[in-house]
Amino acid sequence: MVSVQLVKVTKRFGSVVAVNNVDLEIPDGRFTALLGPSGSGKTTLLYLIAGIYRPTRGKILFDGKDVTNLKPNERNIGLVFQNYALYPHMKVYDNISFPLRLAKKPKSFIDKKVREIAAMLQIDHLLDRYPAQLSGGQQQRVALARALVKEPSVLLLDEPLSNLDAMLRLKIRSELKRLQKDLGITAIYVTHDQSEALAMADKVVVINNGVIQQEGDPHEVYRNPRNVFVASFIGSPPANIFPVKVDLVEEPCVILPGGKYCPKGILAERLKNLGKETVLFGFRPEDATLHEVPRHDGIIMEGEVYTIEPLGREVIVTLKVDGNLVKVIAPPTTTGRISQRVYINVPRDKAMLFDPDTEKNLRLIG
Amino acid sequence: MMGNGKNELMGPLVTGYKSYILIGVLLLVSLPLILAYSTLIITSFANTIVSNPWVKFNFTFDNWIAFFRGELSTTHARIYTTGEILRMIGNTVIVAAGVTAVVLGGSATSAYAYSRMKYRWRKGSLKLLLLLHAFPGVALIVGVYTIYYYTLVKYIPPQSRTLYSFFFVILARASLEIPMSIWILKGFFDRVPWELEWSVLIDGGSRWTAFRHAVLPLVKPGIAAVAIFAFLAGWEDLIYVMIFLPPNQKTLATFIEGQLASGSLETSYLPIMAAAGTLYLLPTILFFIFTQRLLLETMSGGLKG
Repeated sequence: MVSVQLVKVTKRFGSVVAVNNVDLEIPDGRFTALLGPSGSGKTTLLYLIAGIYRPTRGKILFDGKDVTNLKPNERNIGLVFQNYALYPHMKVYDNISFPLRLAKKPKSFIDKKVREIAAMLQIDHLLDRYPAQLSGGQQQRVALARALVKEPSVLLLDEPLSNLDAMLRLKIRSELKRLQKDLGITAIYVTHDQSEALAMADKVVVINNGVIQQEGDPHEVYRNPRNVFVASFIGSPPANIFPVKVDLVEEPCVILPGGKYCPKGILAERLKNLGKETVLFGFRPEDATLHEVPRHDGIIMEGEVYTIEPLGREVIVTLKVDGNLVKVIAPPTTTGRISQRVYINVPRDKAMLFDPDTEKNLRLIG
Repeated sequence: MMGNGKNELMGPLVTGYKSYILIGVLLLVSLPLILAYSTLIITSFANTIVSNPWVKFNFTFDNWIAFFRGELSTTHARIYTTGEILRMIGNTVIVAAGVTAVVLGGSATSAYAYSRMKYRWRKGSLKLLLLLHAFPGVALIVGVYTIYYYTLVKYIPPQSRTLYSFFFVILARASLEIPMSIWILKGFFDRVPWELEWSVLIDGGSRWTAFRHAVLPLVKPGIAAVAIFAFLAGWEDLIYVMIFLPPNQKTLATFIEGQLASGSLETSYLPIMAAAGTLYLLPTILFFIFTQRLLLETMSGGLKG
């Protein structure tokens, strides 16, 4: 297995900059997710690692060895495409054995390998079929088998679950994670689904507009979003963020509807040094609680109920707070009526403040 | 993915009494064609000229046997040897197969480039190809002949001139077919997803392996259609063969034309000539009967810009 390193990699398509000066370290033997919305450059980044695209600038290293100018077939990688790209005119057996046949391995070795990997992925009964005769989930396994059969040093996955239905996606998600841990292979997984990235990856890399927004373990990225984009892209529903007025007269505070929040320590200092009239205030929906009478610990806001969506395990309450729609995850027993006045309570350490111009998290600057 | 268009084409477009009217109209329109062909084919198996449905005739293979023996006249005098007749059929096959090979080689590679690569003048030259296709081959003859004459006189030793003329007629005839073939094949290549080729590269293959193992198998219907068109073009060609092949090298087309033109029509026994004509038409009829659906798919699915 190898580690992958990108050094100041830029990729342009004509005048479009798909990947912009990216520095990235992908750890050996771990599961790394490249997470971003469509058009963010995450697939381009994957294809750069695969060697399908050449970087306009920058270097790509495998275990410190420069592979920037190597062709895909010289990099020993496996890639599962979003549409699987199975060879439609070949049976499953021939699809899986194709990389080994190209490598001119002996027949008996190929046969053993193909049956081994097919058994591992539970597709050994499908070897005589054509791809068109398989279900989406089965095609996905065949593509995975074909990528794994030559024992690549890096496994690249381009949204492999996005063509499957929701139930199957959950099932294969956990299987794929287990498979990666069993094989100990370096895996890079491209997805636009933040829950997939959080659930599967050891390391999450959030990308937008061709630039890495944040990288870290799932917990870190979720709890301490570096900027507004990460906070509002990760989480289901994502973090609530809205502009609030700043009051620096006595001590640095932000004015909330029906209350105010005066941070302490370093955050207070940064709010003061920022010297702006408004900032962005944010919190995660599950961090807040709802009350009919205001409580006196934490941060208090007033709002009125907009909709209530019971989901069985929890209830998502959408509230109107000073013209902004805010979502709060409440216990399943929560009831209420539309336009009811309620108080939102957010623990002080869960509140986030962002610079309105740079959109950076004030807690993490420095 | 590939061939999805096929299923849509198989459903009937018109149903009920309307379909009977449609079939009736089509029959009426194609009646002259059907009559002409069946007259020719039946005559080749008859002991007399079958020019209308009331002619009484006996079924016989005599015309075909006489044709292969080279006995073309009513007197059954042997005008050609069997060897000469076979040679003439062989020449037809050589020209047809040669044109097919050159058209396939030329158009498959260029169509792949047009479909897969970006370069200057790509769009412009694609349009130019269409213009070239619309240009009649006859109009080019003077220029093509000039090239032929000068290269032949200047560079080709006398003993190789027959060989060169075959080479030349194949190349010249093929180049008339290549522009349209590129368009047809490009449409097929465009339908092969990039990921399939990348997949081969990832699996350890070269660009050429990807072309051979992932792309070519998927454009087989297009290749087959282009091959058929090219073969027929070579098989049927009259003018290019007549002008560029030496007079002693005939193909079926120039042979029949020669028989009809030289005034030997009066002396030729027409049922025997009907056998020659049927042989000449055979590939066309067979190909169109057995590949109707393929051709339909090519025309509806292959021609995309």
